[in-house]
Amino acid sequence: MTDVLVPTRRRSSLPPGRARHRLVRSLAKHAVLVAVSVVAGFPLVWMFLTSLKSSHQALAVPVVWWPHPFVWANYPQVLTAVPFYRFFLNTVMYAAITIIGVCLSSSLVAYGFSRISWRGRNLLFYVMVSTLLVPFFATLIPLFVMYKRFHMVGWYLPLTVPTFFGSSVFSTFLLRQFFMTIPASMSDAARVDGANELYIYRRIVLPMAKPAMATVVLFQFIYSWNDYIGPLVYINDTSWYPLSLGLYQVLGTYQTSWPWVMAAASAATAPIVILFFLTQRVFLHGIAIQGTGEK
Amino acid sequence: MTGRRGEGATPVTSPRLRHLRGPSAHARPRRQERRGPRAGAVQRRLSTRNGLLFVSPWIIGFLAFFAYPFVATVYYSFTNFNGVSAPHLVGFANYSAMLHDPLVRTALFNTFYYTVIELPLSTAIALGLALLLNLDVKGRAVYRTIFYIPSVVPLVASSMIFVWIFNPTAGIVNDLLHGLHIPGPNWFFSISWSKPSFVLLGLWGLGQPMVIFLAALQGVPRELYEAANLDGASAFRRLRAVTIPLISPVILFNVIQQLVLCISYFTQAQVIESSDIGGPGNSTWFFVQYLYEQAFSFLKMGYASALGFVLFLLTGIVTVVLFRSSRRWVFYSGGPGD
Repeated sequence: MTDVLVPTRRRSSLPPGRARHRLVRSLAKHAVLVAVSVVAGFPLVWMFLTSLKSSHQALAVPVVWWPHPFVWANYPQVLTAVPFYRFFLNTVMYAAITIIGVCLSSSLVAYGFSRISWRGRNLLFYVMVSTLLVPFFATLIPLFVMYKRFHMVGWYLPLTVPTFFGSSVFSTFLLRQFFMTIPASMSDAARVDGANELYIYRRIVLPMAKPAMATVVLFQFIYSWNDYIGPLVYINDTSWYPLSLGLYQVLGTYQTSWPWVMAAASAATAPIVILFFLTQRVFLHGIAIQGTGEK
Repeated sequence: MTGRRGEGATPVTSPRLRHLRGPSAHARPRRQERRGPRAGAVQRRLSTRNGLLFVSPWIIGFLAFFAYPFVATVYYSFTNFNGVSAPHLVGFANYSAMLHDPLVRTALFNTFYYTVIELPLSTAIALGLALLLNLDVKGRAVYRTIFYIPSVVPLVASSMIFVWIFNPTAGIVNDLLHGLHIPGPNWFFSISWSKPSFVLLGLWGLGQPMVIFLAALQGVPRELYEAANLDGASAFRRLRAVTIPLISPVILFNVIQQLVLCISYFTQAQVIESSDIGGPGNSTWFFVQYLYEQAFSFLKMGYASALGFVLFLLTGIVTVVLFRSSRRWVFYSGGPGD
């Protein structure tokens, strides 16, 4: 989604009346865009400002806008009141395992759905995509019972094992769309030379698909970082909580101490927002592929 | 990268591709040289086998983590089951209990209410913002990034932020309203305002449909607008006659995706109502929350399965209706493409 550069007519050649008209319109557009930006950004700014206030100041009426003094100590206090560091490591581990699972299985499956033509391929592909329409909760209970029977409940196995079996349909879809853009002649050439499919997958398609794989890694990371429902159902030992459940615990325990709650929320949000800033091109491109099916 | 792809398109005997030969390449005769009706059939069978092998991780996952639990949900929904001892069949008892359960009605109504308000609003606003970003404005990439940020914030965090800024006494929103001499409502803690408050939270995170709309808008050929301009079409007419039809498949996609999310509304409600599930006067019991409570607080797995199957049916019916209606309003320009 490289931004289409619109050839703008040279302004100097416009008569002054139209130039002013253009200026007014451009200002109006920016006014709306800035207003929306404020609505989008303000809650996060407010979260951060609250996290630096004293409890007393946060609850003051009328509202005190600027923290005075800055109570940075809220951060070390709340982050040690709950084992936040542990939650952080748990989340990173959860993300890392699912990233490995998704990269392995989704790329293989996507290869089968794009680089080899076989009967029934499209039918199975439609079946796979249509599973996206079935709500998580519609199949949750038998899954829970099944995992319970295999003694898998309590740790991350129910959340990580399926990713090794192509459970991330979105990643498979994204990789398939990308693989389709690689010319078939690349594979044909290698086939004629006697290379088998696994060899083509590993040596030709995967090296070319690095940008798409990066997108998948990013999406999976953000997904597991933000996942709440999965851990809520399957993780019941506090020491194995990921950040999302840890945050929820902070809210429940320190409900009236808003600076603490907001400090914990800021600490859990900041890494993901920074990551998004650094990778936003890749990320937004990935969303666009998902929606328009175009590469 | 384009350069390398170009090389790939050159004749297959290109010496540059020699290094791509598999280990047994020398011993085997070239496949293309023994073409015949037989060889074609062998080739087809071989690629079917290979295709299935590559797809097999998903097939296993589909059977174990989707097909089995799906069938089992239907089975459990006809049983009395606590998740531990063996389920025993009770016929349609769970379904008839559902009909007489006032909370099911409440939860269905709340979910329906939320969906009916949230879905059109978020679609319209996302499209509006995308149209705005698609105009020729400076710094559009920056605005797009800012608009998207709320959508990467963890749902638990964004729900906490909203409870806080909409706090009835010390919240910033009511403070600002007070400055305008408007008495602020109790938002999440008021029976009449709790659902609209959730809608506002939902609207804050509409970055996903917006980015998808924007990508679709950038794919609309400029010549069409120029042609419409020559015909003297107004901006509104261009939107109605050119833009909307051309991006209608993407509208359908976004609507379906948002719809599935709305029907399964859970996380935000669970976090915001952490001390009071159901919200004030049960005004924000959502269907899936009720299912979760029945399954994991009361261990009524049979009943929860019936609720789960109803959830599936609801989603399915609405999706099918949308697809059917889409024949009338969705316009596919490319014909049967990939």
